Amino acid sequence: MINIKMIARIMGSLFFIEAGFLILCSFLAIYYKESDLSAFLTSIAITTGAGIIASLAGKNAEKKISRRDGYVIVTFAWVFFSLFGMLPFYLSGYIPSITDAFFETMSGFTTTGASILNNIESLPHGLLFWRSMTQWIGGLGIVFFTIAVLPIFGVGSVQLFAAEATGPTHDKVHPRIGVTAKWIWTIYLGLTLTEIILLIAGGMDFFDSVCHSLTTAATGGYSTKQSSIAFFNSPYIEYVITLFMFLSGINFTLLYLLFLKGNFKRLFQNTEFHWYLGTVGFFTLFTTITLICTSPFGIEESFRKAIFQVVSLQTTTGFISADYMTWVPVLWSLMCIIMFFGACAGSTTGGMKCIRIAIMSRVAKNEFKHIIHPNAVLPVRINRQVISSTTKSAVLAFTFLYIAIVFIGWIVLMIFGVGFEEAYSVVISSLGNVGPGIGKCGPSHSWSGLPDAAKWVSALLMLVGRLELFTVLLLFTPGFWKKH
Amino acid sequence: MKIIIAGAGAVGTHLAKLLSDEKQDIILMDEDEEKLSKLDSNFDLMTVNASPTSISGLKNAGVAGADLFIGVMPEESRNMTACMLATNMGAKKTVARIDNYEYLLPKHKEFFSQLGVHSLIYPEMLAAKDIVDAIKMSWIRQWWEFCGGALVLIGTKMRETAEILNVPLHELGGRNIPFHIVAIKRGNETIIPRGDDTIKLHDIVYFTTTKKYIPYIRKIAGKETYPDVRNVMIMGGSRIAVRTTQYVPDYMQVKIIENDINRCNRLTEVVDDKVMIINGDGRDMDLLMEEGLKNTEAFVALTDNSETNILACLAAKRMGVTKTVAEVENIDYISMAESLDIGTVINKKMIAASHIYQMMLDADVSNVKCLTFANADVAEFTVKNGSRITKCAVKDAGLPKGATIGGLIRNGDGILVTGNTVIQPNDHVVVFCLGMMIKKIEKFFN
Repeated sequence: MINIKMIARIMGSLFFIEAGFLILCSFLAIYYKESDLSAFLTSIAITTGAGIIASLAGKNAEKKISRRDGYVIVTFAWVFFSLFGMLPFYLSGYIPSITDAFFETMSGFTTTGASILNNIESLPHGLLFWRSMTQWIGGLGIVFFTIAVLPIFGVGSVQLFAAEATGPTHDKVHPRIGVTAKWIWTIYLGLTLTEIILLIAGGMDFFDSVCHSLTTAATGGYSTKQSSIAFFNSPYIEYVITLFMFLSGINFTLLYLLFLKGNFKRLFQNTEFHWYLGTVGFFTLFTTITLICTSPFGIEESFRKAIFQVVSLQTTTGFISADYMTWVPVLWSLMCIIMFFGACAGSTTGGMKCIRIAIMSRVAKNEFKHIIHPNAVLPVRINRQVISSTTKSAVLAFTFLYIAIVFIGWIVLMIFGVGFEEAYSVVISSLGNVGPGIGKCGPSHSWSGLPDAAKWVSALLMLVGRLELFTVLLLFTPGFWKKH
Repeated sequence: MKIIIAGAGAVGTHLAKLLSDEKQDIILMDEDEEKLSKLDSNFDLMTVNASPTSISGLKNAGVAGADLFIGVMPEESRNMTACMLATNMGAKKTVARIDNYEYLLPKHKEFFSQLGVHSLIYPEMLAAKDIVDAIKMSWIRQWWEFCGGALVLIGTKMRETAEILNVPLHELGGRNIPFHIVAIKRGNETIIPRGDDTIKLHDIVYFTTTKKYIPYIRKIAGKETYPDVRNVMIMGGSRIAVRTTQYVPDYMQVKIIENDINRCNRLTEVVDDKVMIINGDGRDMDLLMEEGLKNTEAFVALTDNSETNILACLAAKRMGVTKTVAEVENIDYISMAESLDIGTVINKKMIAASHIYQMMLDADVSNVKCLTFANADVAEFTVKNGSRITKCAVKDAGLPKGATIGGLIRNGDGILVTGNTVIQPNDHVVVFCLGMMIKKIEKFFN
């Protein structure tokens, strides 16, 4: 059954990695001589202690990871990372409630970017950096990061990869998963570093550039400023961030082929990329025209605000350069629809992903044809390859679950006393790992006004959405824990 | 090492799993997505859903940088085509699985090399050779020769008559014996024995020895009552059966029993006159008795159906046949078949896979045989100058647990190895190890 010893052993190594990241942040606390140092040191001690205990518990483990173990490890890795990750916020007193601290950390690791903080600028640099760091680690996945840096998983890494990777199908850039992980992280690091340089060139200071680049590449959306990107009021910075949000929304395998192999063809022939480009283009055009007609903005400004918001929401980043709640209401609904879509599978984004929308729209189109030609054999082709019926039904099941969870979450949040449009947008935003919602949870507000119960539900939805529903929900099915 | 395997059939998947556990970069190609999807999500390898004979498909799989290209699709001609394409597109070495005996003739080797097919593998022929080895010595379950027979490996099952039961091996060793016990198979477990292990009843014991001491081993194993094989009955006229008749020594009489009359007619065209072909159901006991099963010493079941083969062998054993050989294509059945007392189990896939595995080992290994029963590997190394193993006596060399040196061949003579032997450069060393540890052990000899 479940190989508890091996799970403990792997968890132990994961805790050490998290402790390593905390140590990195504590250097910042030392450098800036701020009050959060003792909180970091205590967190490091607790996390390392937990790592030692888990490693001891996992001594002499049978080195085997089954499929079930993979799902358990991935889900609990995310939960425990958030539990230990919230310690600096909580212990330093900057977020005095456990609910809020856990919410903030889960929102970080899942790259949601929804915050309960009402005065972000007051946080010390160490904590601000840790907030951005959680998103960067979570962007490509905690376990995926570990696969890249440590060969601890051995044979089981394939199972873990399958449990954490996003999208209905998984591409590999190299036959060995460890090497694949290294290349993907290289691309990720490259994107982050390039953006840092470009932001500094645009006049942002070093610390802010690093923090914003970490959260852009992760399509997370945590900013070091309460008013997000609008604070900088710089068209250059907005365009740079738009570009990098867009790039981070592309399948990283395609980015690898593009940047490291110079293979343009694969990217531009990719069905999912067509959909991504098409939807972003359409939504931007629609929003731009609406803004030109209904707002005081000029053409350039309308376009800039429109493309920033559309790309930010479709890549589920959640940066804000303008409060769309001040726009006409049709755009609010449009923003919610964009949050559903998401960008490409195999990127750092959340949401449904374009590949699923592409497959479903072709299935639907085939249904129409099928009525006129009842005997026709109608394949669904993606990237010129016929999609198997197993993949098709997996996509349909995913979509059904996604929509079902939105409705259930909506009702549950309203039971806890959240308003109609707030509940609706919080669920979509949490499940899609986006960040802002509408109404009182809109871009210019934080989510601190939500009741505690609603915050826990929202945190759960973020995790469920980040791990693409099945990985987490599987643990709640009774069959998973049965021996047969 | 980047290895492309074309064809996710039985041999291809078995090989892919084997090599991916070995930390090789494996790319598996097949047209059938369903065959690939299972492997893709469970093993550390990459799958490419494309025809291995399409140029764009091969390009996609990255054939230009491949160190080895293995064509193991069902059709011989496609394997050849794929290998030729692969070589021309940059693959360093290619192996094709074939069905035609002619291609294997040494005089054609150069021709195929020029075409771009560097090695050929014919699983049916390898299986036939194994069968003949097994029936030549009916009391032996496994038989393997090293360096043209200077050293032999024998696997045999211990019955009540054996003389070496329940004696610790270090006591046996004290008598200065002319053999070395390299592995013991007990139930489902394989043991690479150490001094304090003992041999128990029903163990399968693997000895290395030189040819002149084989009668001695037969004596201590209590197998002197086993008759020599003169009459062989083969059930099922498959390709392996045809190849087997080719390798059988002249003194043996072979009968093939085949159910399909058309196949029987075809068989008459491809086998020698001395082979008698009988049209009938091999499961029909009356027919078998009529054809003289009582006087038959070896019964070989080679139908397409593993279950039929196992059951037919059991029936034959009950009728008094001393040696039975069954082809079992279902890998999970192998240990079961062995516990049911079937003399030798033949598995085409494992034979083919271990043969290819041997090709890709970079050390000077000329013979690797995967012992079907024992889950152990046998490898032959040529010791290089200055390698670790030559620096001290074998017992101090620190070979990993689960590995033992079975013997060595120096200037053509087989020598058995004890703890105090010092291995010299250019010796051929025969090593036994559990699982696929060969890569680890290679380091000692290079």
